[in-house]
Amino acid sequence: MESLFELLFKYRPVVFERGTLGFDWPVPWMALVPIALAAAIGAAWLYRQSQAGLTTRDQWVLGGLRAFAIAIVATCLARPVLAVSRAIEQRNVVGVVVDDSRSMRITDHDGAARGDYAQQVFGGPDSSLFKALSAKFQLRFFRTSGAGGRSESLGEGPLNGARTHLASALLRAEEELAGAPVAGMVVISDGADNSSSMPGATPMLEQLLALRARQVPVYAIGVGSERFARDIEVSRVEVPGTVLREASILVEVVVTQRGYAGTKIPVVIEDSGRIIGTKEVTLPRDGDAAVVRLRVPASEQGARLLRIHVPVQSDEMVRENNERAVVVVVSDRREKILYLEGEPRFELKFIRQAVEEDRNLQVVTLLRSAKDKFLRLSVDDSVELASGFPKTREELFSYRGVILGSVEASFFTVDQLRMLADFVGIRGGGLLALGGRRALAEGGYAGTPLADALPVELGPPVPRDSGATEIAVTPTAAGVLHPATQLAPNDTATAALWRQMPPLTTVNEVGRPKPGATVLLEGNAEGDRRARPTLVFQRYGRGKAIVFAVQDAWLWQMHQSVPVEDQRHETFWRQLLRWQVSDVPSRVDVVAVGEGAVNEGIPLRVVVSDSAYARSNGASVSAEVVSPSGERTTLPFEWATDRDGEYAATMVPGQNGVHTVNVTSVAGRDTVRSTAGYVRVADPTAEYFGAEMRPAVLRQFADETGGRFYRTSEASRLAEDIQYTTSGATEVERLDLWDMPMLFLLLMATLGAEWLYRRRRGLA
Amino acid sequence: MSRPLLYLAIGTAGTLAPLAVRTALVEQYCYTQWEDVTAIDNAPYDGRFTFFRVRFEPSSTFGGGRGRRGGGDKKWDHDTPRAERHLMKILEEITTLRPKMDCGAIFAFGEAESFKYPIAYVSEPGFWTQSEEEVRGIREFVAKGGFIIFDDFAAQGWYNFEEQWRRAFPDLRVQPLPRTHPIFDAFYDLSGTALPNAYGVAEWFGVFEDNDPTGRLIAVVDYNADLGELMEFSDEAYVPIDLSNEAYKIMTNYMIYAMTH
Repeated sequence: MESLFELLFKYRPVVFERGTLGFDWPVPWMALVPIALAAAIGAAWLYRQSQAGLTTRDQWVLGGLRAFAIAIVATCLARPVLAVSRAIEQRNVVGVVVDDSRSMRITDHDGAARGDYAQQVFGGPDSSLFKALSAKFQLRFFRTSGAGGRSESLGEGPLNGARTHLASALLRAEEELAGAPVAGMVVISDGADNSSSMPGATPMLEQLLALRARQVPVYAIGVGSERFARDIEVSRVEVPGTVLREASILVEVVVTQRGYAGTKIPVVIEDSGRIIGTKEVTLPRDGDAAVVRLRVPASEQGARLLRIHVPVQSDEMVRENNERAVVVVVSDRREKILYLEGEPRFELKFIRQAVEEDRNLQVVTLLRSAKDKFLRLSVDDSVELASGFPKTREELFSYRGVILGSVEASFFTVDQLRMLADFVGIRGGGLLALGGRRALAEGGYAGTPLADALPVELGPPVPRDSGATEIAVTPTAAGVLHPATQLAPNDTATAALWRQMPPLTTVNEVGRPKPGATVLLEGNAEGDRRARPTLVFQRYGRGKAIVFAVQDAWLWQMHQSVPVEDQRHETFWRQLLRWQVSDVPSRVDVVAVGEGAVNEGIPLRVVVSDSAYARSNGASVSAEVVSPSGERTTLPFEWATDRDGEYAATMVPGQNGVHTVNVTSVAGRDTVRSTAGYVRVADPTAEYFGAEMRPAVLRQFADETGGRFYRTSEASRLAEDIQYTTSGATEVERLDLWDMPMLFLLLMATLGAEWLYRRRRGLA
Repeated sequence: MSRPLLYLAIGTAGTLAPLAVRTALVEQYCYTQWEDVTAIDNAPYDGRFTFFRVRFEPSSTFGGGRGRRGGGDKKWDHDTPRAERHLMKILEEITTLRPKMDCGAIFAFGEAESFKYPIAYVSEPGFWTQSEEEVRGIREFVAKGGFIIFDDFAAQGWYNFEEQWRRAFPDLRVQPLPRTHPIFDAFYDLSGTALPNAYGVAEWFGVFEDNDPTGRLIAVVDYNADLGELMEFSDEAYVPIDLSNEAYKIMTNYMIYAMTH
């Protein structure tokens, strides 16, 4: 297509894109334009005066065609030109950045490695692009990994880069060439940028803006196949960051593939070499993702390194992307939940009974047994809750979860209701509001500060007689998969177990779930036209708020149809309460830890709060980093001024393995130690994931900077295109357009059409 | 209407009105002592706390079985409905509990609906008998988390009670209930309170899971005591008010404890 364009218009499209159209008048335009106009009008007038029996239509058509032909000739006489900025030969530098990351080892470029292409076109004086470019420019070579620095020839180098950060590599190269007239940058890459996996890396988009500001066009050559013929990849693994001991870890594995549709393969999870879970998956059609969910036990405390892998097939393009590793922290601490119940009822007894064997849960109970009379259960000492429900933030925020039973809103002061909302929003705790005659809308919570936090709309209480509504409770699609409501290892078995649960009753009219809320369980009563949201949650600020709008979940334990040995009631409550307090922040929390490589700077962030969970900026924070071999180093943190209460440090590990980070914060007389954070240090494998050539990324670089993107088959044009630049030392060249074949063809076509028309009308 | 006729009408109405009220009240409760068991008309379960009285076939050994009226002396129905109605009223007044006031629940152990009422009250266990189905029912009730109150029996009635208990739970001993047990502090402080004597020296017994006195309390046994009767007659001068007070306090603690532990 481009060749045809060049044939008709004399120059390639890129020249028109970059040039400006104008006229080099051989005679002053004030003379030429009136002559052309007079000729055109004269021609038309002659046709009008013709006595050859022309109709008005004939006069217009023939007059118009003749006038157009005269206009073309006049245009040519006006000498049209294309003014284009062109680099002055041998006065400019072109930087060539070659991707030397590991993904360039993939052998999908005409059966050879991607990295071989750069050698092929730039490797020696006779290589095609080297020859074409070096005739006009001085070439300087760089590698994306930074290895070798700047050189005048490409040379041989290992394809060993652990990551690809194209924008960084280009910026680094441009900085190296600072001061020299740079006509453009050439980048040879597969576009598999994985800078997002690099700890602390500046986002690519931000760096693209910096590149654009420098106004140096980037010419990108994409190497490799955009679609692998045969490959299986473990694309993503999702696990909870922290789970309580004896819980199960829900591992979600996303497997993508090409060329193996319909094949059955096992997904295997290993912990320290032991297989702890396996599930067979039938691979979907090409390009689609298979999502596999496995539950594996969290029996040992500490950081567990889980390896998730699928077997390597014999003819796979990339073998290294069949495995991923993730760290899950198994905590053995006792999570304290405050359960406030407004009246004696069996729900209280059976919730406590369900979780009493769980040594990671402590349900501290405050039962209002009479007006101003409380029964305290499972308290740590005689002081705890001695004056009833907490009246200060410090006291309330010392719990990680709160359960509100059947207790009316007027029981609380307005400040206590605000504290409860802040318990979720600011402290990041988990709030569970149970159903009951004094709960939710029936308890007068609509319009209170707490109503904002709850995941359902609350209206005014609906007047009802003393009866309750019986509902059959079943999980939604989200509920079948959720760690709180998944009762069996797989979805089908979970749904079947829920179907066998006896019905419960509710006395609460729950409104619609709020936008952003998730319904896990829904209830169906006889005659209902739509299901009632029954177990609903939403994220609110840093925490989560849950509503469970039934009054007697204990029937799942006591009901006659439930066998004595049945554990669904216990499982449900244990899972619900554990999930309620999962990921609840502590006073000092290690956040933003992830993975990194040896000798790579891994940024760590710590959030420090005071006892009321207000972010604290004046603390002195340091961490003890324990390497896998037991070496201990101290790492000071600095206040990260961009966010309140956040402190940052960079850790440079010297060995692979899981490193433990114990942070201590000192603010005045308040010294707080964090729970351990974990950093996995390993040889990066990001290069092998999503490793197909990505033209979109490379095109983005080109478009943002005014350059062009080429596939390897089109790369020969680069040498010419790069000349037309405004960057570097340039001169303006005026290219004649009057002799464009297109103009000649147009003139011929116009005159031909006139002749044909006259002939048809019997005038010629 | 002539004046004599008006007086006669007013007089008749005045005489019959209390009877009508009493009848209405009795009918409002779903069963009254001495009635035939076919008269039991439990209200449907609605989640509110409901007094659950256990029905059984009384042993004839100590005079159980058919009694003076058509319904016979069924033993398990002694003091109903006034005892539980008074107790529910007291609980409603004193505590935050909002119990079901209009009806109790009467079932035999093992009946499907009985499992919706996790606190069971067994009156006159000296005359308690169980079918095989009831034995299975009580085992299931306890294993799932139910709590049982045995009340209103004395003397040799113990032997029958113990025998029936062992049929259901051969390994669980009925043992003295320590006065330090939390049940005596669940609502009222009963550390200085004695179980009111009825037919001898009253004693508290209990049954614990795995026979461990620090473990879950499964049942409480009022031996030589009759809290039901003390509650039943609390609105009459038939029993001393102080004793009725003690009975209410003890029963309140039972209820609060059983709903929290």
